Amino acid sequence: MALPPHVSTGPSAAPARQPVYALVGNPNCGKSTLFNALTGLKQKVGNYPGVTVEKKIGTTYSQHGQPITVIDLPGTYSLAARSPDEAVTRDVLLGRRADTAQPDRILCIVDATNLERNLYLVHQILDLGRPVILVVNMMDLAAQAGLTLRLARLEHELGLPVIACEAVHGRGLIELKLAMSRPDLPLSRHAWDVPAAIAPAVAELQASLTSNDRKSPLIARAEALLLLTDQDALRVAGSTPLCPRTVEILESWKKRWAAEGTDWAGTLVASRYEAIGHLATAVIQTSGTAGPTTSDRIDAVVTHQLWGWLVLGGVMTLLFLSIFTLAETPMNWIDDQAAALSTWVKHAMADGDLRDLITAGVIGGVGGVVKFLPQILILYFFIGLLENTGYMARAAFIMDRLMSRVGLNGKSFIPLLSSYACAIPGIMATRTIEEPKDRLVTILVAPLMSCSARLPVYLLMIAALVPGDRVPLATKVVIMILMYALGTFGAFGFAWLFKRTLLRGAPPLMIMELPPYRLPRLRDVALHMIERAWIFLRRAGTVILGISIVLWFLSAYPKAPAGVTDQQQLAQSFAGRAGHALEPIIKPLGFDWQIGIGLISSFAAREVFVSTMGVVFNAEAKDDDTTPLRQAMLNAKWPDGRSLFTPLTCFSLMIYYVFAMQCMSTIAVVKRETNGWEWPVFQTFYMTGTAWILSFIVFQAGRALGF
Amino acid sequence: MSRPPFDSRIPLCQLAAGATGRVCALTGDAHFCQRVREMGFGESAYVTKVSGSTTILCQVNGTRIALSHAAASSILVEQLGNLGPQKG
Repeated sequence: MALPPHVSTGPSAAPARQPVYALVGNPNCGKSTLFNALTGLKQKVGNYPGVTVEKKIGTTYSQHGQPITVIDLPGTYSLAARSPDEAVTRDVLLGRRADTAQPDRILCIVDATNLERNLYLVHQILDLGRPVILVVNMMDLAAQAGLTLRLARLEHELGLPVIACEAVHGRGLIELKLAMSRPDLPLSRHAWDVPAAIAPAVAELQASLTSNDRKSPLIARAEALLLLTDQDALRVAGSTPLCPRTVEILESWKKRWAAEGTDWAGTLVASRYEAIGHLATAVIQTSGTAGPTTSDRIDAVVTHQLWGWLVLGGVMTLLFLSIFTLAETPMNWIDDQAAALSTWVKHAMADGDLRDLITAGVIGGVGGVVKFLPQILILYFFIGLLENTGYMARAAFIMDRLMSRVGLNGKSFIPLLSSYACAIPGIMATRTIEEPKDRLVTILVAPLMSCSARLPVYLLMIAALVPGDRVPLATKVVIMILMYALGTFGAFGFAWLFKRTLLRGAPPLMIMELPPYRLPRLRDVALHMIERAWIFLRRAGTVILGISIVLWFLSAYPKAPAGVTDQQQLAQSFAGRAGHALEPIIKPLGFDWQIGIGLISSFAAREVFVSTMGVVFNAEAKDDDTTPLRQAMLNAKWPDGRSLFTPLTCFSLMIYYVFAMQCMSTIAVVKRETNGWEWPVFQTFYMTGTAWILSFIVFQAGRALGF
Repeated sequence: MSRPPFDSRIPLCQLAAGATGRVCALTGDAHFCQRVREMGFGESAYVTKVSGSTTILCQVNGTRIALSHAAASSILVEQLGNLGPQKG
């Protein structure tokens, strides 16, 4: 086969620094499993600046023990990106991102059961002229499906190392590491002829990109092909605008083709598929037609009009039951440990401000938040399991019927489900939604899903709402479900409203692959859980610790003259003054200045409300440290002697927390995601405004009805 | 590829469950068409509809793909009956 002019046969220069491999592949081809198998716990999860796409970097070792960096890039079907995470893959591979060095070598992973489609991306990547190792994963599943792959032939045709692999079972990893350890890798010998109608344009664009945009010739050719594959040249160009001359050339060719009736983009795709088709015919042998697979049989039930809903309902019920029941014991344990630590400090230290800061501020504040770790772990365990088995895509498929009624598509389901744990990963998960308006609507409504940070507030309010120590579990659960339902319906309602007003758009064109069912790989699920737990603990150790200390300071200073009661001290502290200032606004909702302190402090993070109430009301609890917070709250009164935490107030407060935007981290993520303050500010106002109005209606109507 | 008579082309959403068709044209949003083609779902691909009326589930080249109603209505297919070639 003749070599194209852009490819040299010489071995690439062995990089002096630690070699960097980029791992790329289609979604659902086992990329994450391979990444985990290669790097184990040696992973670093960060963010690409400017977008909330996760940047996963790990280290693996060559056969000689030399470290090799592996960047796990988001899965994509094509380099012509349609969503922000796909754009990251494209930009890293093209060396456009200043924050990530262009990878030296590329590890392309393909699904053996669907080689033809997976080779499309490989085909585009070969144009980049970098050394590539091709990993053909899921060889076992291909064999089960009656497919025989002649990989030696594929290796010969492409001229690059092809490794058969079963990442789930760890098979093929040694061969892969051996290939990765090679100091030199050949460049692909696979050439394809750009269709005659398009070739002159590619050459002209390549020349302009080289001379005017200062791209290296190989990258320039790949960019030229991309500019012609994607209908929207500006999107392809990304953040660095193209030189006007290049744009001019592109536009003149497009005009010419439009006049001739040439579908250039379609022609390019078809021509790549033609080349891949020849390759596939030589490589893939099908032995008879296999009957319905196990996945097909499971899908017959799971995606059924009726059974599908029942299965989804069952899974969701199991998820929430587990969160509430299984987490109880470890949560109580963490609570006890925090209390024991606090008691120990009280005995070990002399009375004073520092002791108060450590016990009430640090241990009370951070402990009150860290105890939610078990629930967060359970939620991520389920999300990890659902994604790992392939069920998550089915859930999105079933939910699409419902979501399409409010103008969203099934892809918004995963972000919204994740938001039950925390809106931040939920908002980050919106990066897979291609349509910018749908993505924005999902971001705007995601924080309405009751996240785990609201749980402590609900639990505290339910404890205060339902009197008596032995409350039937059913009552608690019903109130809890009511709050979750309120948030969920709120999210759907606002999505419907936004899609009809602010962010009007065509019905979503969703296309989503449903991967075959697989047995979950617990190692991957566990890694995912550890990663999330660490992010949560880091937040508790930094943001929440800081807030707890600041809050303690605000409620302890300025010092009142000696001899006044703790309540008088609090009333004249900075926090008390802020609460008092807020009282006229929140009094119609049934809240006093002490709750006002909680609302202000929990603007940073909702769960801080509980620790604040701890600080606020323990201050009133005189010497009796063992009085549970609930009891202290029930004893709290308005100045005229009425109870503060009446059932109606508790209800109003819960409704406030369902809707109000009380999370600085979410605001920060939305700001980063939407590239400006406009949307996070709008979101804060619409959510907190709705919260105020609904709490007002509930409290005033309740009062009028005599509650 | 010879163009089939117009009346034999129906949107994918109208294809009966279990029936197989061959994609003959993609209409509508250019970005969407591009992605559909890139996923191997372009003109002349064989598609078997599995189920669905609002959200469509279908099988292309051994892969299960879900499409929203709007997406499925912009893919025109030529029905081949239940005996069309299938992979996977």
